[in-house]
Order: sequence, then structure tokens, then C-alpha cells
Amino acid sequence: MKAHTVLPCGRSRMLFVLPSLVVLAWSGGGRAEESLLERDVLPILTKQCLGCHGGLRQQGKLDLRTVPAMLKGGKSGPAVKSGDLDASEMWARIANDDMPPHEKKLSAAEKAAIKQWIAAGLPTVAQRQQDDAPLLPAGSKHEPRQVAAAIDQHLDRALAAAKLSPAPRADDAEFLRRVYIDLTGRVPTAEQTAAFLDDAQPDKRVRLIDALLASPQFGEQFGRTWRDWICPPELPSDGNGGAQPHKQAQDLGVWLAARFNVGDGWNKITREILTVEGEIKTRPQVIFYGLVGEGGKATPDGSTRAVASLFLGVQLQCAQCHDDPYRSWAQTDHWALAAFFGKMTADFTKVTEPATNKGGAQISIPKTAFKNVGVNVPAAFLGGKHVAPPQDRSLRSALADWLTARDNPYFARAFANRVWFYFFARGLVNPIDDFRELNPPSHPGLMALLANEFAAADFDVKHLIRCVCNSEAYQRTSRVASGTSESATATLTTLFGRMPLRIMTADMLYDSLKLAYGDPKLDLRSPDTKNSSALGQAALVADPYLEFLRRFGTNEEDATDFTHGIPQMLTMLNHPRLLAGSKALEAYRKARPAASPEQTVEWLYLSTLSRRPSADESADAQRYLQKTNDPVKGFNGVLWMLVNRSEYLFVR
Amino acid sequence: MFSSRLPLPRRDFLRLSAAGVLSGLSVPWFDSLAHAARTVQRPRGKSCILLWMDGGPSQQHTFDPKPTGEFRAASTCVPGIQIVEQLPQLAQCMDDMILLRSMKTEINDHYDAKYYLHTGYKRTTAFEHPAIGCIASSQVGLPDDDMPAFVTIDAGHDRLDGGRSYRSVPAYLGPQHEPLAVHDPFKGLENLQEAGDDLNDRLELLRRGEARFAQDYATPAVANKQAALNRAVRLMRSRRAKAFDLEQEPAGVRAAYGAHKFGQSCLLARRLIESGVSFVEVIRRGWDDHGVAAKNIHGRAPWMDAGMAALIRDLKQRGMLDDVLVVWMGEFGRTPGSGEGHFCNAWSTVWAGGGLKTGQVIGKTSDTGKNQGGAVIERPISAPDYMATLCQALGIDSHQEFMAPGNRPMPLVEKTAQPIKELF
Repeated sequence: MKAHTVLPCGRSRMLFVLPSLVVLAWSGGGRAEESLLERDVLPILTKQCLGCHGGLRQQGKLDLRTVPAMLKGGKSGPAVKSGDLDASEMWARIANDDMPPHEKKLSAAEKAAIKQWIAAGLPTVAQRQQDDAPLLPAGSKHEPRQVAAAIDQHLDRALAAAKLSPAPRADDAEFLRRVYIDLTGRVPTAEQTAAFLDDAQPDKRVRLIDALLASPQFGEQFGRTWRDWICPPELPSDGNGGAQPHKQAQDLGVWLAARFNVGDGWNKITREILTVEGEIKTRPQVIFYGLVGEGGKATPDGSTRAVASLFLGVQLQCAQCHDDPYRSWAQTDHWALAAFFGKMTADFTKVTEPATNKGGAQISIPKTAFKNVGVNVPAAFLGGKHVAPPQDRSLRSALADWLTARDNPYFARAFANRVWFYFFARGLVNPIDDFRELNPPSHPGLMALLANEFAAADFDVKHLIRCVCNSEAYQRTSRVASGTSESATATLTTLFGRMPLRIMTADMLYDSLKLAYGDPKLDLRSPDTKNSSALGQAALVADPYLEFLRRFGTNEEDATDFTHGIPQMLTMLNHPRLLAGSKALEAYRKARPAASPEQTVEWLYLSTLSRRPSADESADAQRYLQKTNDPVKGFNGVLWMLVNRSEYLFVR
Repeated sequence: MFSSRLPLPRRDFLRLSAAGVLSGLSVPWFDSLAHAARTVQRPRGKSCILLWMDGGPSQQHTFDPKPTGEFRAASTCVPGIQIVEQLPQLAQCMDDMILLRSMKTEINDHYDAKYYLHTGYKRTTAFEHPAIGCIASSQVGLPDDDMPAFVTIDAGHDRLDGGRSYRSVPAYLGPQHEPLAVHDPFKGLENLQEAGDDLNDRLELLRRGEARFAQDYATPAVANKQAALNRAVRLMRSRRAKAFDLEQEPAGVRAAYGAHKFGQSCLLARRLIESGVSFVEVIRRGWDDHGVAAKNIHGRAPWMDAGMAALIRDLKQRGMLDDVLVVWMGEFGRTPGSGEGHFCNAWSTVWAGGGLKTGQVIGKTSDTGKNQGGAVIERPISAPDYMATLCQALGIDSHQEFMAPGNRPMPLVEKTAQPIKELF
């Protein structure tokens, strides 16, 4: 999620906060459906009412953001009374079009939804979710096998309630390619593929997951994933005064990689980021505060936004300038957290903080905020009490103590939800950093289970991932049964009954292409832009890696969204390098001079699509090879065809 | 674009409900909402060539000269309208031009101002807004054409501007409205040239594989991939793709535009518009002239004057000027006098053609006292007003709403925006 990396909440932003402003399209004719708060009522209130009766303004002293606040009501008494329309002032005002005061009144369908909701006793989605208790006890770590089984039980219950059957298990090739890309950030080699496909042991998937988690590529892939969640290195410099520290951002990914590989807990890693002091030369994580700050310097609000989104799973950016109009975060929640960052100074090279905490742990709301400028806010943990400043350590250490404690309510679930999002292209809570009461998880029991397990395992990242990857849910096919409608497929995918097709990230694609072409320095920049400082773009494409990331960047918020267009397709179709042959192929042919054309084609399929060709595919390739009548050119053409396949660009 | 663009809470709930997961619920699947935005009518509006002077050109050294300014004013072919004497060819095109001298746009920071003037919205942390070129691509562009609807041309720079360049993004309009970038007008489009001599055979091999895959994976993502591939192949194969090649243009015409990357980019823009492209943005960097505006713009004036004037004359001669709007602008102007600082309070943009009421000046900046040009004294134009006017000039309904992430319906231009009526 890039959201936190950019600028502070512009004033115009307060308008666009809550998801779901959709007008309900009740298709007329009495649909016998219940009206639920989060799904049906909140979107209407958000669109029509919260602007004046929310966090920003509370006209008539009325706040409609939560049910307790509605029950409390405003000057004219309670806004709603459960099951009693006559005693619900909000309904009276809406029914007679007294509210909203502007021209656009509520539609008949919108009124019906609110009326039904009040009459039915204010039901919520959360109340209607049956599966709300985790199936494993909190407080102790379990075997991955047990956790995986519990994950499946949670998901299967929901599928059964929906009368849906999960998709079948992925075959070995599909699983192999998926788990390699997910855990190591690249496809397997032909040799790795053949070895796995030909392994007859029943536990080969479990062993493969363990082996990949133990490989250095695991840390590399998760390091760069987190690097991008913090701040993608290829982004233009934006607020950073023209000097985006690409190199240092990449170094942060490398540092994270080492932490993941040695098995540091997420609590330890988080603490090392949050409490960092000193020079970047010895501590690459110094760059964190500069990256999430402004103009190359740390800002208390930038740090707050990033820490909230990345480590707490909540969005505090609106509360920077005023109480969140739609969520229940108050402006003081934002600044109480910001106070922990008020004493430090940081830029791209170093972080310092005075040794003593003179003046106490508080912060004055700066001019850049929009309300309550100059008000002093004492430091407090999110949703908690004020903290007395620690005498002997930095404020940030105190924050890290609270944040990474096993019983912190935010920390474990925020990470677990991101991990789930990483593997399934959607979180159990969406957006993944918007945890709050009125945005409940789709599977509350499962969410709690994963968070509990992660905390009980001392925030062991590999353990959590091992549990997820061993589940049947992760190992289902992404194939779509023929004759299934788009919407039915989408529903099954929403319930994690089928794996979605995901687009390879630029990193995954680049590393996979490097393998296929046996070229660790693969350069797909335009031949025209190399070594040509006289041309306008020279500065922007100086590095083949950054240029590749820019060109083949994907939608970070939705891995199922194919966003490549003509420039990417032209690069794949016509870049001379992709037709110029593969050093890996050369090496294979040299080592296997007696290999038949069929065997070589099979080897090419194994190196790219991680499977053997079907009989039809093999026949197609042979026909092409015969027509070409030049083995080198022919095999290079087959390789070109394979990397241009949809199957290659997707993680299936 | 597709309903699956973002998994959204409300849609999730709908799915969960539809699936009966929320107990006691058993409703048929309904999903008409997200599709609504897709059925856009695409009336063929007008094309546009945006000459983007990146960095913020000084209005007093170009189109809004002042008695106390460093450059002298000179008459144009329209009585009563003056621009600086360094732009003699443009002075002769004034009857086809409109000077908008009262831009007042709030943001003095490069990147945020570029964002604001390209999208009409202030930058936020929540999501991105589509740039005007992408809007034109979706609303004016021909949906199923060989040529891309939106092309950007990098016309070079006077000095490096670091990484502060803004890139147009289509955001929620969908990836097919991403601009196609020409990095060097002399070299055309990257990777347009076929590699190898057996592309047909390889494409046939690819096609057979793709067809099999699509059978097992009938999903929007696969359909999008295959559509993008088809568009790329069609473009390579199209005779109209010759428009990217300046060598095809007669020497005399090339000379008229000036032997400079900017002029040649203007010529390339005209060729692309002629071949069916709807929106071309020519980006010339290096106008961030702190303290040396007079010296720098004196050096730049000849090529800018020649390139832009040649473009206007050429479009007119070809009978295209009424259907093509030419826009000259940066992200803000510069402080009155020496042009030392960034200045968003009172600055100028220039439009030409487009079938508008040309030969006029809109708005006025102060021209007496010590700080001449320091304020707008007549008809201030805000960024949203500007964007709404641009949309109207191109035949785009700026009130249309699209679904931004989070199921937020977003109008193309802020609802409060007022188009400049005097132009129509």
C-alpha cells in the first residue's frame, strides 16, 4: 500500500474517506433481505450524513459514526432506538425529508434500508457472522499442520454455509510454480521443476515449503516486499526535493532480507526499525523515517501515518488535521502517537534523539494541521492512556515496548493480515490497513487464529507463513471450471475457495526472466536510451533494475489487476534481447549435445512455465522448429513465445 | 475498468451475503453497480496537443509583459494585445490564440502543482486521480483503434530536474488509458520495430498457446492481457504507425518547425494527431529558472516561438486547427520581476485553436504600483475551473463519475468547478 508514503492529508481529502459510497441499487420489488449496518446503512450515512454529524462537524451535537454514539444522540435526543421507529429522531428527520438539508434527499431505497435496519433492532454484519471464535486456543504455539488444518476448517465452514464447493487441489506443477514465486520471488529452474514433478513421496509439498523458507531467496523476496510496502524505490522523488534515495531504499530491502533469513521475529525487526539511532552507514534502517517523511526529513505525522498503517493496521492519516469524519479516530489519537516521534530528528543519513526527555512527552499540533493548531497533546498509545516519559530511554523505545508486546491488540493481526493478503491477493480485512469495528474481517475467527498463533510463536514470520502455505486453501487450483460465470468465480475467490490468478510483480518477473535467459544482468532498457546522457530520459533510466521496476510495476493494492499495456507488450514482443537467445539454453545444449528437439522444448517449458508441454504444445513447437530450420533461432523463438504467454506473466 | 479492479468492502459484503455466509441470508447475486461506469459513450470530441513547460515558465518573460519587467512588450496581430518582443512569430498567430493571464492555483511546490494542473485535484494520500491526457483517452479516444489515444513526447531539457517529473496516470479509468511514451522524437517509439524475421510464425505459436490457456482461465485479467497484446501487435502492424517516424516528413516542413528537439516534437505531435491519436503531451523540462529567467528565456525564445507558431500555422493550413486545441502551460508561473521564485498567484497559460473564441485575453494581473503582476485583478481561474474548461473545449462531460478505489464515485472534475464561458 503506497498510501502512507506520499503527502499528508490534503484538505480536500476529508471528502474521500470511507469505502462504499455506493447508492444501493435495490432492484425494486420487495427483496426479502435484511438491512445490515456496515453493508447497507453505513454507506448511506457516509454519503449523506457524516459530513455534518461525524468527526469533522457535529451539528446538533450529533455523531452518527457508531451505534453507541447514535443511541446517545444529540440535542434532539437519541438518533435511533433499537426496534422503535417512532422513538428514532434520525428516522423522523429522514422520513419527512427534513434531513439531509441539501437538495439531494435520500432515495426511497435508501430510506427503506434505514427504516428496516432500525425496525429490525440495528443488526450488524459482525452479529451475523457465525464463525467468530478461533478454532485453536490462544497463548500457545501449534504445529504448522494443526494450524493449517484449522485455517481450512474456518474457510470450509464459510464455504459450506454458502453452499459452495472449493476448487480442487492444484496439481504439482501449479503448486510448485506458485510456491516458488511466492516464497523465493522467481520461478523454479528446469532442474528444480523436474526434480519435484518426479518426486513420488507424499510429503514432498511440506518438504518443499520448508526448503524454500530456508533458502536465502526467501528473505530477499520478503525484504523487497516490505521495502515496497514502506516505499517503492522506483517512485519519483515527490516531496523528497528531487533526490529519492533509490540505493538506500534498496539497501533497506537487503537489510530486511537478512533479518528474515536469520529468523528474527517481527517484534525484533520492528523494534530495530522504530528505535534506530545513528548513521546509515552502519544501520540501513535509518532510511525508514526519511522515506516516510517529507522532503527527505522525518516528520512526526509522516512517522505516525506509516507506523499506524504498517505496524498497527489502522489509518490515522485523516486524523492528522481533524477528527476522522467517518472513523472514530480523534485528532488527538493521531498526535498522541506522533508525540513519540516529536523529539527525534532524522534525514536520509542519520537519526538522532536527545538523551533526556526534558519538556515531557508531548507534541504541539503544528500549523500544517487544520484544527487545534498549537494545542499540546501528551503521548499516548493508540486507544490507551497517557504515558509518563521514560527517564532512561527514548520515547520510541517505550512505543516499541508497547507495540511489540504479545498482548498488543493491533500488532500481530496487522502483520497476519498482510501475510494473508500477500498470498491470496486480498486481506481478511480490506483495505489491509483499515482495521476497525465497523470494517470487520470476512472471517473473524480465522483472523483471530492467525494473530494468536503469530503472537504465541514470538512473531516468527516463517512459522506463520509455513502454516498458511501448508493449508489446502493455499494449495487450491486457480483454474476456473468451464461454464462458471465471472460473478460466481469472484464469489468463490472472495471466500478463498479458489486461488486467484495474480500478476507477477516486477521483481518476480525480472528475476524469472534473468533465470530463463541465464543472464543476471539482463537489460531491457531501450537500446536508444543507453549511454545517451544528451537525451532527456537518461537520468531516469540510468539503472536497468529501476527502469524494469518502473516499466513493469504492478498494482500494489490488487495483484489480480492486469495493468500492463502497449509499452510493456511491445517490450516483451520486440526488445531485441528477448530474441537474442539464452545463455542458460546454450549451457543446456552444450551439456546435452544428444538432446532431441523434443527434449530441448520440454526443458524450455520446464524453465519458464514450470511444467512439461502437452502433446499439442509439443507438436506446435516441432512444427515451428521445422519451419525455422535453424535450431538456435528456433529454440530462441520458442523461448520468446513462452515468456510472452499469459501463463508466464501470471502466478497461477 | 473491470468489476474486479479492487476488492472492496461493500462488494465483499455483497458477495458474502449473496453466498449466504451471513446467516439467514439467501439472496440472488446482484452486481450491477460497478459495471455502470463502464458503459461510457465516447463521442469523438476534439484532439489536444499539450505543450508542457516543466518547471514553471515566467509569465512576465513570455505572455504577460509589464512596464517594469525585464522584457519589452511588443504588439501582436490583434490590436491591443501585447506579448514579449522575443516571440515575434507567435505575435503573428495571436488571432488564433487565447491568453489566460489570471491563473490562481494555490500550490507552489513543483510536484504537487504538476499533479494539480494535470488532474484538477490536489494530491492526496488516498488514491491517484487520472491526468487530463488519460481523461481525453477515455472520453475522446477511439476505443478500438490501431493508434494509442494518448502519447507523451519527451522534448528534452535545459538542465536536469532531478526526479521531479510527474507521470500521467489513468488511475481508475483503467490501464488502457496509460500514455505511450516517446522518449526521443528523433527515434520514435521504443520497441515498435519488429525483432527477428519470423514474427508471424512466432505469433501463431503464441496464439495457439494463449487460446488454450484462456479456456482454463476465463478471467478479466487474462482477457486484459490478451487485449493489450493485441493492441501492441495492431500498432506495430498499422500503416498509421509511420506517424512516429519524422523522416517521413518533407524537409521543408521539418525546417519550418525549427532544428530543435522542441520544434520537432511539435511536428511529431501534429503527425500523431493526424493519424488518429487524441491527446499528445510534449514535455519540455528545464523552466525552473531561479534568478536567471531573463537570460534563459532569451535563449529559449527562438525555438519555442518557432516550434509553437509553426504548429499553429501548420494545423491551420491543413484545416485542422478548429478540431485541435493547442495548450501551452507549466505547473505555475514565476514571481514578478526577475522570475526568481515559484508563483501560483497570478500566472499565464496559452491556448490556440480548438474552435474557440480566439484572439482574446482572459483575466488580468495588476499593472501599476511596485509589484506589477503580483495579483490577479480580474477573473481569477482556479485549477478546477481550468480543468473543467479544458474538458468542455474537448467535448468531455466533466460531471461524469467514475468509481475510485473504495467505491468512491469521483467526478472527472470537482463539482464546484466553473468553466470559462468567454471561450465558447
